[in-house]
Amino acid sequence: MQPSDARRTPPDFVQPIPTGPYRGLNPTTKLVIAVAEALVAFTVRGWTGPLAVLLVLATTAVAARLGRRLVPFVIATVPLTASILLVNTFLFPGATDVILRIGPFTPTWSGLEAALQATLRVMAFAMSVAVLVLTTRPDELVADLERRGAPRGVTFVIGATVRTIPRVVQRAGEITDAQRARGLDTQGRLWRRVRGVLPLAAPLIFGSLNEVEELTMALEARAFSAAGRRTTLRVFPDGTGQRQLRWAAALLTAALIVLSIAGRLAFLP
Amino acid sequence: MSWLSRQFSTRVLVLIPIAIAINIVLGYTVQTVLKLPIYLDSIGTILVGVLAGPIAGAVTGAAANLIWQYAPGIGGGSIGPFAITAAVIGFMAGLWGYLGVYRPRPASGARLWGAVVIGVAIILLLASRIYNNPAYTDPNIGGYPDWVFTAAIVIAVVASLSVAAFILIRRDAAGAWVAAAGALTGIVAAIVSAPIAAYVFGGVTGSGTDILVAALRQGGADVYNASLGQGLFSDPIDKTITSFVVFIILASLSSRVLARFPLGERLVRPDTAS
Amino acid sequence: MSLILRDATYRYAGVGHPALTDISLEIVPGSVLAVVGANEAGKSTLCLLAAGLAPTTIGGELRGTVEIDGLATIGARPPELAQRCGILFQNAETQLSGTAATVWEEVAFGPRNLSLPLDEVVERTEAALSALGVEELAPRDPGRLSGGQAQLVALAAVLAMRPAYLVLDEPTSQLDPQGTQLVGSALQRLAQESGAGLLVVEHKTDLLASIAEECVVLADGKIVARGSAGDVLADPRLDEWGVEPPSTARIERAARSAGVQEPMLSALATRP
Repeated sequence: MQPSDARRTPPDFVQPIPTGPYRGLNPTTKLVIAVAEALVAFTVRGWTGPLAVLLVLATTAVAARLGRRLVPFVIATVPLTASILLVNTFLFPGATDVILRIGPFTPTWSGLEAALQATLRVMAFAMSVAVLVLTTRPDELVADLERRGAPRGVTFVIGATVRTIPRVVQRAGEITDAQRARGLDTQGRLWRRVRGVLPLAAPLIFGSLNEVEELTMALEARAFSAAGRRTTLRVFPDGTGQRQLRWAAALLTAALIVLSIAGRLAFLP
Repeated sequence: MSWLSRQFSTRVLVLIPIAIAINIVLGYTVQTVLKLPIYLDSIGTILVGVLAGPIAGAVTGAAANLIWQYAPGIGGGSIGPFAITAAVIGFMAGLWGYLGVYRPRPASGARLWGAVVIGVAIILLLASRIYNNPAYTDPNIGGYPDWVFTAAIVIAVVASLSVAAFILIRRDAAGAWVAAAGALTGIVAAIVSAPIAAYVFGGVTGSGTDILVAALRQGGADVYNASLGQGLFSDPIDKTITSFVVFIILASLSSRVLARFPLGERLVRPDTAS
Repeated sequence: MSLILRDATYRYAGVGHPALTDISLEIVPGSVLAVVGANEAGKSTLCLLAAGLAPTTIGGELRGTVEIDGLATIGARPPELAQRCGILFQNAETQLSGTAATVWEEVAFGPRNLSLPLDEVVERTEAALSALGVEELAPRDPGRLSGGQAQLVALAAVLAMRPAYLVLDEPTSQLDPQGTQLVGSALQRLAQESGAGLLVVEHKTDLLASIAEECVVLADGKIVARGSAGDVLADPRLDEWGVEPPSTARIERAARSAGVQEPMLSALATRP
């Protein structure tokens, strides 16, 4: 234990600064990049947008050595991409360029093209989320936004929500276990299942709402509503290069959005 | 500006994360356990809107979707871009809060039956506007398989009966207003969501309702109208049920607790105020 | 300078009758005042009133005066009150801010809100942690502590505000015996060393007997007895007020009714 009178900065375990390629970037930089990637993937139509974003993502993923950790995020998109591919390939309105006829089913090339493009968009978006989530802890992002002057309410809501969700999930699990021990049916017929949700939902909702009053008082008792910027505990490294990168990404994204809406990007494949 | 800061008092800021967590946990549970074409992932959003106001409601909705998408461990597939819809739902809930829609209105006799008639009439009126929507009926833009039309009628009847039962059993005329508010919110939500689903996600969302989208396209609807058709089917049901759930929650809270929220006064039964 | 309530009558918002009537008491820095009473007697309301949370944060109507070091609680802003009087609630879990990744940050939450310079934030946090002997909990996740540990962390978080007065509303009631022991001895140390004025509400009268100098009994929102802790806690009317007397008093009473005479009686009644 370090002698407390020698310390003038928080201990190392408080908001540790991440290191390593890409991870070591300032949290706000990583956020701006992720948002830019998502917006470009969605607004630049066709193949170019999503593929360009996927290329950028692949580079950053390799640099940050994410590899296998991306797999769960890919798997999570499967229900959506499967649906996109099936519905659009087989049922694309107005398409006549049939690939082949299998009984009543008539997949079309236009449909397939639209499906693949939509799939790439979804993949690019999901990967941009994955890279951000895997390289940035919510705490460090909130702390950096706070240092830059984000309103206290915003940072509190983000930080508290991220921590409240696991707590509520755990409480839901406890309630369900308790109910199951009393004979609650979570499989079975629809009506039973509906009746089953109620004994879960009611204690969960009311238990959570009861906390509101106590936590409000506890926060006020610790000067939560005081004016002024909260003291920064840790400054995450930032530099001119990163600042320029952020501005460049933001401006490029804005320009692409405008051009896309104006139809000027139709020449891209 | 003080109107804005009152909407975000400490109490509201504490409520929002809890409301978002309720959204996510219940929404996830409902989708995996019930497997019905409803989401029930807006309970928290509407609750905040009614208690704290439109801006707070909008923020809750948007934040819920974005955090669900980006939170480590629970990330969702396609929910992020629908933050816009969620914000609109929260905003509308705030408007209903201002109008006192969710205030219990105990009634009996003629007034009660009047409320039943009004409630059922509103449901059927909104339902007819939905089912007359070109996405369902215009042979040029889309058709519909018969089972969709039948299902829609059945749902409208069941909804009317449920609303009537609710009003009569609880002897509370507010059921009519809550049903109307929920159905309207659902319609607006569908209209806002359709372009997002159509242009961003190729018209589907990866959930069970995609079957309906497929059916509508089979009938000839284009991408946008198929998404709109699906939305107009699921969203009003979902948001009406959600509104009733929120109504029951609010009715179970004491006036002491309600009064501390910015719009709490509008939820207090006039006879229980001290 | 003191925390003073004068003829205070308080009614919650949305409720017809007052929860507390004509309460007058004074807490001086360095002293410990115990408050006992049956459930629903108004003890928790008294805590909220003394800390200024009622009426400022929870609304309601206050008649009479509540002043903390000269600052009237009506019309004061919560951050001002927070720096003068801290409050600890029964349920440790719901007091934690839910935003801190480590216990250290949880304790630093209050000083950070006051926008204090970083070295002062660090100093206050370290001092609060060591005052309660929980330095080794500093890197832990606040959501994964035992009840007693969480309560100590919550107390440290309040102490980091350096209030002149501290109100504790049944701090051990939701704890198991181990937690109670932990928090109880921390309170004893606090009472002796901190120099703050304490108002402690507890059912565990044994704990109060060991730390409090003065005691007040509440029943139906009014003060029905007051005096030195020794006298009040030995008062035979405690039972009718819904308060369980401390074990020493119970032993003495049982011995007396069994026919034990002096000097054995005094020997039994002495605290170990």
